[in-house]
Order: sequence, then C-alpha cells, then structure tokens
Amino acid sequence: MKNIIKIAWRNLMRYTRRTLLTSSMIAVGVALVIIFSGVGSSFKNEIIGVITNSNVGDIQVHKKGYVGSIDNLPLDRAIPEEDFKKIELLLKNNPEIKAYSERIRFGAMASNFAQTTNMRLTAVYPEKESKACPNLVKRIKDGDSSPDTFVKPGSVVIPQNIASGMNLKVGGDIVLVATNKDGSVNGMTFKISGISENIMGPQGKDGYIHMDDARSLLRIENGEIIEIAIKLNNFDRLNKVFMNLKYYLLQIKEEKSADPVFEIHTWEDLVPFSTIAKIITLLIMVVRIVLFFIVLISILNVMMMSVYERIGEIGTIASIGTSPSKILMLFLTEGLFLGFISAIGGNIIGVVILKVISAAGFTFKFGDARTEFMLNPQIPTAEIMFAVLFVVIISVLASLQPALKASRMEPVEALRHV
Amino acid sequence: MELVILENTKKDYISGEINVPALRGINLSINAGRFISFVGPSGSGKTTLLNLIGCLDKPTEGKVFVAGTEISRMNRKTSAKFRGDNIGFIFQNFNLIPVLTVYENVEYPLIMVQDVPLEKRKKRILDLLEKVGMISQKDKYPAQLSGGQKQRVAVARALVTDPKLVLADEPTANLDHDTAYKVIALMHNMKKEFNTTFIFATHDPKIVGEAEAIYTIEDGLITKMQENKQPGVN
Repeated sequence: MKNIIKIAWRNLMRYTRRTLLTSSMIAVGVALVIIFSGVGSSFKNEIIGVITNSNVGDIQVHKKGYVGSIDNLPLDRAIPEEDFKKIELLLKNNPEIKAYSERIRFGAMASNFAQTTNMRLTAVYPEKESKACPNLVKRIKDGDSSPDTFVKPGSVVIPQNIASGMNLKVGGDIVLVATNKDGSVNGMTFKISGISENIMGPQGKDGYIHMDDARSLLRIENGEIIEIAIKLNNFDRLNKVFMNLKYYLLQIKEEKSADPVFEIHTWEDLVPFSTIAKIITLLIMVVRIVLFFIVLISILNVMMMSVYERIGEIGTIASIGTSPSKILMLFLTEGLFLGFISAIGGNIIGVVILKVISAAGFTFKFGDARTEFMLNPQIPTAEIMFAVLFVVIISVLASLQPALKASRMEPVEALRHV
Repeated sequence: MELVILENTKKDYISGEINVPALRGINLSINAGRFISFVGPSGSGKTTLLNLIGCLDKPTEGKVFVAGTEISRMNRKTSAKFRGDNIGFIFQNFNLIPVLTVYENVEYPLIMVQDVPLEKRKKRILDLLEKVGMISQKDKYPAQLSGGQKQRVAVARALVTDPKLVLADEPTANLDHDTAYKVIALMHNMKKEFNTTFIFATHDPKIVGEAEAIYTIEDGLITKMQENKQPGVN
C-alpha cells in the first residue's frame, strides 16, 4: 500500500498545474461550505439565543389547545394550580432543567389618559423570569433592569414602540384595562418602571407586570397560570429533554376524555424565525450539493484524462504483471489523494477566513432594534470533519469509473498506445 | 527442456467485418536458456507471436505452453500473476515509468508484482544495476537518461524477478547502431549470467546475427529456422 501511495502521489505531482487547478477548485468549494456553515450557524445561533434567552425560553408548556389560539391570548385555557404543581415537581426533579418561569399572558388596553392602545402583557415573577430568560433584563434600556426587581407590584415595563407612540417615560403612569375570562373588565394604574427594546419573536413587543398584579387585574383568585417557560442547562440537548418531558407530560390525562391535559413545544414551534433557521440549514445543504458536483466533475475529469494519457503506461505495468486490483487501487488512491489534499486545503482556507470574520467583529441589527448582533462564527468542527469525509468519498466514487477502465484494459491493446 | 511450445497456434484480428489472420498455424518449440530471434518484415506477425508467448494475448486457435503451463486460456488475473512470476519484458519504447527513478523502476516488479523483502530486493537491484552499468544513474528519472541508458534499465527491470523467459519486441528500434549493439550484447551477457531464455523480435539484420537461432516469420507463418553456430557479440 505504501508503494501504491508513493506512485499515486508522484503521478499527481507529474501534472502539477492540472492537479493544483483541480485541487484549488475543490478547495474553494470546501472553503465555501465551511464559511457558509460557520457564518450561517453563527447567525442562526445568535438569533435563536436572543429569542430563547430574551422572551420565549427553550421549551414552553401550555394547556392543551392554547398554542392553536395563541393570537387571542385566551385566558380560559389556563393551567390550574394543582396541575401546575404536578409540572413543577417534574421540572424540579429533572437535572436537565436550569430554570422555569410560570406566566400569565393577556391582552390589555393601555392608556396614558390622552391616548389608548392595545398591548400584550406577560405577568411574571421577576426573579424566576430572569433565570428562565436571562437576557430579558438586558432589553430594558431605561429604568430598573435588576433581574430580581425589574417588575415590582404596581409597576410595568412597557415596550419601546408603545413608549414612543404614546410618549411615555419611566416614572410616568399608565392605566391598564383588561377583560378577565368571565368577561368582566377591570383597570389598574401602573407606574412605568422600565422601557424594553423590541425584539423579534412572538413576545418581543410584550409589556411585563408582576404576577400578583395580573391576578388582581384579572381577578384570578387561585394559582392558575397560562404558560411555563423552561430554560435548559444545555441547549444542545433540547430535543432529548423535550422528548423526555413530553413523554411524562402526556401521561397526565383529562379524567373524562382521557386526552392529554397539556401541550409542550420547543421554541421552534412557537417562533417564526425557526422557518428562517430551517432555510439557513437548507442553504448549507444546497452549498454541500454544489460541492458534491464540483468534486465529482473535477475528479472524474482529472482521472479520466489521467487514464487516457497513461494508457501505454497502464499497458506496461499490466504486462509486467501488476494485477488488475492493484491498477484499480493505484487510480483510486490518486483520486482519493486529490480529494483529501483539496479538502484539507479548503478547510484551512475556510477556517482562516472564519477567524478573520470573527476578528473583524462584524455587527448587524434588525429594523429599529438597538441590539446589535455580532457575527462571531465558530469553527464548525463537525462540518470540517464532514467535508473531509464527504470529499474523500466522492473523490473515490468519481475515480471509480476511470480506475475500473484502467484495471480492465487488455495489456496488449494498451501497449499499442505507446 | 522445452520452455516454450506452440501447437498449431492461430491468431485472427477482426477489422470491421474483415477477419485478418495474423498467425496462421504456428508450431514451435524453444528450449530453456536460449537466445532466439524472430525476424521478418513489418506486419509479418512477430509482435503477435511475442504477445501470445508473453501471455499478453490469447490465440484464436491452438495452444501455447510456457514453463509447462498452458497460458492460452488464462483469465486476466491469473495471466498477470503468471507474467509477473515467469516473464520479463523489454519494449521498443523502453516503457519506463516516468515518475519513478532508475532504482524504483527496477524495484517496481519486486514490490508491486512480487513481494520481496527490502534487504533482498535492494541487493538484487543494486547487483543488476551494476551489471547493466547503471548503478551511477540509479537516482535519475527516465527523462534524464539517453535511449541506450533507458533500455539498460529496462533490461535490468526485465531480469529483476529472475524470470524464466525475457521477451523483447524490437528492443533496438529506437537506438542508434552502436547503442543497439551494446544493448544486444548486454542482453546476451545477461542470458549467459542468469541462464534466462531471451526471445527478441527484430527486423534489423545487423543484430539478428547475435541470436543462437533465427526464426523467420512471413505472413503469419514460420518460413525458416536457422541455427547460428557462432552467435554473440565480441
């Protein structure tokens, strides 16, 4: 094998310019995959991080049927206190769960005594919410942004768009009027304790009040809640933890109908950005497919040329007694080498460019959001390994036809080409 | 002892729809350790005959035996092994592998065809390169050698596996007169040294005289066999 490798390597180096050109083309393709994967994943993870850490959480639990009518923020699909306690027990005993926060979400009319507008509100316990969504307080640009006290009883955090539209400032008063699930209307005056930056996501423009205030406003006398946001210790284990929680939650059934009481969703089910994330993944796949054809056509072309140019030489080594399998191996090794060195070269180029992008500290933001996202691509180790393996396999496959042709040549016919 | 036997061997080529007979019934027997020449004009069937004896091609009819083995019906893999073990080849165009050095070209059959241990093959290669006068050029590539030097390397490569038979098709066709004589002399000396049977095809009448026996081939038939009482190069 050592000798086959030696001869294969020298044959590649025999046509240095052609080998370099082909190798460069494949390397550029590999580098593109690495860069696209690194940048795309960085962008995706950055946005997902903002969404999950700022308002949605990694997983949410609701009463069955709530998410289907989430646009109306229905209060009649609440999780009763006794059911919440069951879920709480489950979450507390699960080592994968870092934090959870129960919430009441509802729609209200907000008035500054001169103007009135609609507003979506999330009622939370601030210390629990800050643990489940640690970046929430970072969005509070004006006012109290302390994780444990960002909403106190009697105060409200209002979103940037409403503050601007109604000319509201921290310290000002606002009246919130809400309809409870029985249809009766109630209103309370709140002191604006903070103004939060709008971000993308279904809860990106919600205001926040304290849970106790929500219960007063909505006249909820028991401990029922609307949703539970869950934060995991390790986001990479999302699907596993989700499946595990789902399994246990779906065991809890309605007494009459025997249907599950709860529904559970990952952030992907709740946030429209998950579609963009899927498109990014799809685009990375498209770039991989392009790479597939670049490698396939390049290697096939080079190896076919190589076989046609060396027919006489194939005749010589065959007549000397080289077995067809060794001739096959010789050409397969050439193709494999070409693919391997190209993949390594492409990976090096890709990693260097990702490092440069990372060092350059490119930032971007969406719309009028003040939060800037930094493009900080990580080195996609799995993608690098995949690229090498992928290119090597395609190279061998592309070399197979020319190599088979070489190994099946009749020596006497091949020698006539000398 | 008979090394090569051909029994009523015929070979036809198909050209379009026309059947072209290249050999039309050859009966031949060559003893081991001889230095034989096939002569004849171009297209007479010399190369076809060498190809059949060299297990590179199959006869249309008849049988070919080399070293007691019938080689006329071997498959590709078996015939490759047989060639590697029993036959050395010297080509008109030298056919050295351009990416290998002189040493590596001679080494090639020992590592890619046979599996000879390093020390043994090193000794064998250096010994042969010494004998063919190419030891000082062992690290050069074929492109850095003259035609005569290339053919010397080809002779060493053909002999390195210690074959029973060496076949040379027009080995001097691309060499000048003096070099051609030297190469034939080298082959003759190697034949004496290793007691290997050499069969070479040529149409050069000046080197034919160096053969111990001369077979004249015309129109696919052996028309004359002539023993040479005083072969060799002085």
